[in-house]
Amino acid sequence: MNGLDAAMTEPDDPDEGFDLVLDPKVQESIGRSLKAHYDDIVNAPVPDKFLVLLAQLEATEQRAAGASRDESQ
Amino acid sequence: MSPSDIAPAGQTETLAQERRTEDFKDGLIREIPNLRAFAASLSGSMQLADDLVQDTLLKAWGNSDKFEPGTSLRAWLFTILRNTYYSLYRKRGREVQDSEGTYAERMATHGNQESHLDLADFRKALAKLPEEQREVLIMVGATGLSYEEAAEICGVAIGTIKSRVNRARTKLAELLSIGSVDDLGPGRTNAAAMQRVGSEPVGS
Repeated sequence: MNGLDAAMTEPDDPDEGFDLVLDPKVQESIGRSLKAHYDDIVNAPVPDKFLVLLAQLEATEQRAAGASRDESQ
Repeated sequence: MSPSDIAPAGQTETLAQERRTEDFKDGLIREIPNLRAFAASLSGSMQLADDLVQDTLLKAWGNSDKFEPGTSLRAWLFTILRNTYYSLYRKRGREVQDSEGTYAERMATHGNQESHLDLADFRKALAKLPEEQREVLIMVGATGLSYEEAAEICGVAIGTIKSRVNRARTKLAELLSIGSVDDLGPGRTNAAAMQRVGSEPVGS
């Protein structure tokens, strides 16, 4: 009975399926490589165009706010 | 109330709004490097990544009223970026990769030559993972997002995220071992260290 109960509480997510047990050292090595890949891009200089874009969006919004303020007066 | 009492109140409101806009903009600027790294990991191309980041910033700006202050701006932006990628960029990504190769082969990296080679190999392996595995591995393994946040961003259960992360790691270990035939050190050790449960080994 216990065995049956245990079987019934198993997760039935189709993605669960089989799982492999990885050596913790392998996991750690993959983790380090992941961070190296990601941080390499994170630490790269950000193209100016993004800062220019945001400054433009902000300026547009401020002009719109100024215009509606003038209208309401 | 005299008019002079009313004017400052209106000005204070406007200033508060400008302050909110400024804070939101600063938040976006802080997240740009992470958005680029996530976008590059998804699309496999730095050029596509920057187009994707630009679209994401525009959408985020237009929908800033939907962001709940106090929640994770990164998770919110990743959700926008991911949706944009799957609806508009996925196909383009394949075309760019086909014509130019992935960024893994082209991107200049900092550091010594040995780590450069390692990184290039790793990126090639990463690009071979199914998208659904690659995206969660990056979110959970590199961006600092929690399993819960990754689950919310992808719209799936936490158990599914954990399972995908496991599969992604296993697949990467396989790919990296296979890629290092003349490197008898770590490659062979990795392959031997993996214990398969309930499935047949994939041949070389």
